[in-house]
Amino acid sequence: MSTVPATEPVPASSRWPWLGDFVAGEWRAWIFVGKSLLAIYLAAWLAMWLQLEQPSTTMITVSIVMHPHSGMVLAKSFYRAIGTLAGSLFGLALMSLFPQQRELFLLSLSVWVALCAGGATLYRNFMSYGFVLAGYTAAIVTLPAINNPLGVFDSAVMRVSEVLLGILVAAVVSDLVWPERLRLLLRQSAQAQFNLFIDFVRDSTAGNMPRERMEHANLALARAAVRLEDMRASVIFEDPEVHARSTRMRLLNQRYMAAATSFQSLHHLINRLQRSGSPTVADALISLYRPLAAALSPGLAQQHQSAVLAARLGEYVARLPAQVVALRAPLPAPLAQLEFDTGATLLQRFAAELRDFATLEGSLREAQVRGSVEKVHFLRGNDIPGALVGVLRTFLTMVALSAFWLASGWPFGASAMLLATIFSGLLAASPNPVSAATHTFYGYASGMLAAFVVVYGLLPGSNDFASLMGASAGFMLIGPYLSTRDTLPGVGAGYTLGFVYILALKNPMVYDPTHFLNDGIAQVAGLALAGAAFILLPSVIGSGWQRTRQFRRLREQAVLAATAPLEGLAWRFESLVRDLFQQVVTYTRPGSDESRSLLAWALAVQESGRTMIELRQQLASGGDIAPAARRAATTAMHAIARLYREPDAARWREADAAVHAAIIAAAGQPVRLHLYQLRSALRDDESPFARYIPSSSPESVHAA
Amino acid sequence: MPHEIAIYGVLVPGLLPVFLVCLLLMVLLDMLVGRLGLYRQVWHPSLFRLALFVCLFGIAGLLLIH
Repeated sequence: MSTVPATEPVPASSRWPWLGDFVAGEWRAWIFVGKSLLAIYLAAWLAMWLQLEQPSTTMITVSIVMHPHSGMVLAKSFYRAIGTLAGSLFGLALMSLFPQQRELFLLSLSVWVALCAGGATLYRNFMSYGFVLAGYTAAIVTLPAINNPLGVFDSAVMRVSEVLLGILVAAVVSDLVWPERLRLLLRQSAQAQFNLFIDFVRDSTAGNMPRERMEHANLALARAAVRLEDMRASVIFEDPEVHARSTRMRLLNQRYMAAATSFQSLHHLINRLQRSGSPTVADALISLYRPLAAALSPGLAQQHQSAVLAARLGEYVARLPAQVVALRAPLPAPLAQLEFDTGATLLQRFAAELRDFATLEGSLREAQVRGSVEKVHFLRGNDIPGALVGVLRTFLTMVALSAFWLASGWPFGASAMLLATIFSGLLAASPNPVSAATHTFYGYASGMLAAFVVVYGLLPGSNDFASLMGASAGFMLIGPYLSTRDTLPGVGAGYTLGFVYILALKNPMVYDPTHFLNDGIAQVAGLALAGAAFILLPSVIGSGWQRTRQFRRLREQAVLAATAPLEGLAWRFESLVRDLFQQVVTYTRPGSDESRSLLAWALAVQESGRTMIELRQQLASGGDIAPAARRAATTAMHAIARLYREPDAARWREADAAVHAAIIAAAGQPVRLHLYQLRSALRDDESPFARYIPSSSPESVHAA
Repeated sequence: MPHEIAIYGVLVPGLLPVFLVCLLLMVLLDMLVGRLGLYRQVWHPSLFRLALFVCLFGIAGLLLIH
């Protein structure tokens, strides 16, 4: 057909655009529902076939572990298996230590569970799962056996087998049946991160960028770095190719952050030069800088091909020294030359980093991994006092429940404690635990109601596994379906857990309404108490207290840069600053004073911190630096560290004077360039230091 | 090979150590194949991996039991 008829029917997707999205979304949701049901029933069937005591433990495990993305299931499963083994070992040890002393036993169990909940708060990725489960397994292994200490070992072996079977089934099903690959998502976001950064650099070589735009760009860059690290950490479980490239991806992220810091420092320097009346120097730097845009523009088709870009960047870096000499010659005063040298060094560093970044990105796209690369880590800024609050809260919850249990002789106290254990851990890592607890509570309660209908209305007639599935599947699928709705966080998970737990499938099935109701009440009480504990002792995640402390810690990274041992400091500094920044900014209202101050400080810390690290590396390596200059530079860095720790006008003056003295002491030596950059960062009248700068500050460095 | 072995007085199936060794072998194999990018040549990598593991474990188990 050569011509298109004018009255061609519009495809349904463009006539009703929402319909296409709706169908695609529902399709994904129902695939997940199907996979969850398959995994849960397969696990139950295998558990019964292997004659394990409580198939329901296996089913609970599956329902906790299933997640729409398969990488997440494997990551969860890995840590879950570790947590399960640690928890069951601890449970056994506890049981053998205190077989008769209930008070001591429950106290130690409470401490263990509390520590595990604290660990879950500390680590925000899937490691937190391992901690939750270490606590939960210790409880599930020991609590049902508490009246029968001799049986604890058999009970532990059974629970561990059940839990591990559940993990195995969930992992296999989610990996084999319509796997939704996190790897694709990872590849896309790594690619998007690369493109974003390259485009950003290409569009900004005019040299002029408002501080505000830089702050927002920095925010986006930091977010991308942290997000990429989060995804990498869970995708390595899914995919052997990603696993083989893991070290490389870490290094890539590191190079990306380093290049971003240099880029931002360079822009600040040029902006400052333009503002402070050295436009000739700024122009010289910009004309040195502009060819970078040309190097990054190999034509639209190859614009984001890292191999091409890396080669072009390599040529640019090779041409730079000659251009520096040519542009430096006409500059007049020693001061202008000093300013120019500082900028040129920074530019060379940035260009080299960008080239390395592009080269590494190119090597990641190849089918084979060749050679090995430097090992770096992404350091997370974990908040220890916040985790301690979590430990305290869980401990109090558990002790209160234990005391009530011991004092009242409640036969179902074990169920309540178990539920409190699970949810103190799971909720501790949630940013808004009270609302999460409420949602989970509703979900849990409706799951139990549904299970009641199933157990006493539908199940009694069934006599084989197929009819069991037929009786329960209709109510079971509500849970996984609800958990694919983002608007109802926690409801789906609560529903599935409540349903599966109280269903308590056994082989043969036991029908005991009294037990059902008592157990149900105990479980709801445990869940409610775990939620109520968050009202009494609120979560610190995202609270003003935590933000203030994290913010201070962000500033103290400058102290770290000035004083910590140099080994691996550069990558520790870069990742920690990003992670802290990202954590604080998540809970800060955009546009508020707090947010503006945070953005500004993050930039200042990155620039000064990185410069100090470079300076210290130069001091450590170069042998021909005069001892006086070395001393003066160290003193200056300590003064700056003090300023960052507690910024005020007096410390600013001290730091400024110390840097000034160091510049004089280091006359004619390469370290002077870094010192000059430090000084120019201190005197930036758009940085957070602006308010400490005396209005009549002398503008030039006469001794240069 | 014994069907059950005792570890500190606890009887565990004799296949458990075989399973663990196969798991370790699989991790090494995964690393190698991942580096060479050979998984790109198969249709369903996870199914392939599972099948590979089943083959490994099956061969090792049969060889050791007979």
